[in-house]
Amino acid sequence: MDLLAYVAQVLIIILAPLAVGLALGVDRKITARMQNRRGPPVVQPFYDIGKLLAKRPLLLNSFQVVFAGAALLFQAAALALFVAGGDLLVAFFVSGTGAVCLVMGAFSARSPYSYVGGQRELVAILAYEPVLFLAILAIGLEGSFLVSDIGGGLLYSLPLVLLTLVPVLVILLEKSPFDVPTAHQEIMSGPYVEYSGPYLAIAEVARWFQLAFVFGLVTLFFWSSDPVVSIAGKLALAFVVLFVTIVIDNITARLTRGRMVRFMLTAGVGLVAINLLLLFVVRQGVF
Amino acid sequence: MALEDKMRARSPWIMHFDTGSCNGCDLEVWALLTPRYDVERFGAINRANPKQADILLITGPVTKRCEDRLRNLYEQTPEPKLVIACGNCASTGAPFHNCYNVDGGVDKVIPVDLYVPGCACRPEALIDALVLGLSKWREKAAGTDKEDKG
Repeated sequence: MDLLAYVAQVLIIILAPLAVGLALGVDRKITARMQNRRGPPVVQPFYDIGKLLAKRPLLLNSFQVVFAGAALLFQAAALALFVAGGDLLVAFFVSGTGAVCLVMGAFSARSPYSYVGGQRELVAILAYEPVLFLAILAIGLEGSFLVSDIGGGLLYSLPLVLLTLVPVLVILLEKSPFDVPTAHQEIMSGPYVEYSGPYLAIAEVARWFQLAFVFGLVTLFFWSSDPVVSIAGKLALAFVVLFVTIVIDNITARLTRGRMVRFMLTAGVGLVAINLLLLFVVRQGVF
Repeated sequence: MALEDKMRARSPWIMHFDTGSCNGCDLEVWALLTPRYDVERFGAINRANPKQADILLITGPVTKRCEDRLRNLYEQTPEPKLVIACGNCASTGAPFHNCYNVDGGVDKVIPVDLYVPGCACRPEALIDALVLGLSKWREKAAGTDKEDKG
């Protein structure tokens, strides 16, 4: 591989989480406009991170920062694997380990809110990871597990799989109706409740990396031989998915954690299965 | 340093605590978050968590029961932080200043940076205090930065 491709990959690994930060700012702005408010500036998430880094550190125990740092490293490694054209399954498991690290960080503090938040984060992982896993398996069946070999056509062959990524992102973006782990009015900010200042910033950036990986999965569904069309299409597709989650967030109320798991493990898994069945039937020429 | 200051001024996360208010001022604090006053346009969000808060909005006269809790919340908030006493009761204790179960204003228990008058305090006055507080916060932050380095 030539030097230019390496530089491009490193740039994407750095820029992708920043793009997610910007997307979260756009999300807050659109949400505000939907509620007839002016809303914060689009770069607000970056102001928040900068402010958090400038706060005086306050730590309960050293495990907290170890697990937040581990979550960041795992999520960054998952994104790096993805961008470098590596194996999707490996990237998925590395990202999953990062998610569990956050739960361990929450459990390390002796605080009831943090504990409930950690438990609920585990339930959320139980809800979205199987669906994400099956979606990746479907992509592997249809194209390849290696990101560099996937190519185009996923949008036409696996539209329902793209649809199942929407509720997955609803959970990961902490949006209604599945904002169970961080349920603001009930348990404050769930697993993040005992994090403050710079350590909260680390946990937040880890989340940006995770979102960058999952949005990366979404962008795989669009591909064109022209690189400009390809990149524009990928960004447009990611924005459409983000917009749908924002609309869902603003028209629904929070469901219980049981209903979240039930929905994901029936509708989510079901949609992927139906998509693969239909594909099989059409390919076999039954109709 | 200048960048830090700019970031701080754009992201004041608030925590609201009721130390025995009649709920009049509380309603006005909540009104800040509604579309009409939309305090999120200054980057402020209600975290309801002292560890992640920058600005404490305290309402009501401090009852003896609440004294420890208020001090606890104040100590859990990492520096640099700002305390705003919202309304007459939080500022001075107002009609309750000599009640047997009341300590008086918030400044009897924790240091207060800004007092917002009114019964109940108007949301416009609260926004004014919040924006005024940002410059005060910058001064305090400069102090804590100096302490941390020296």
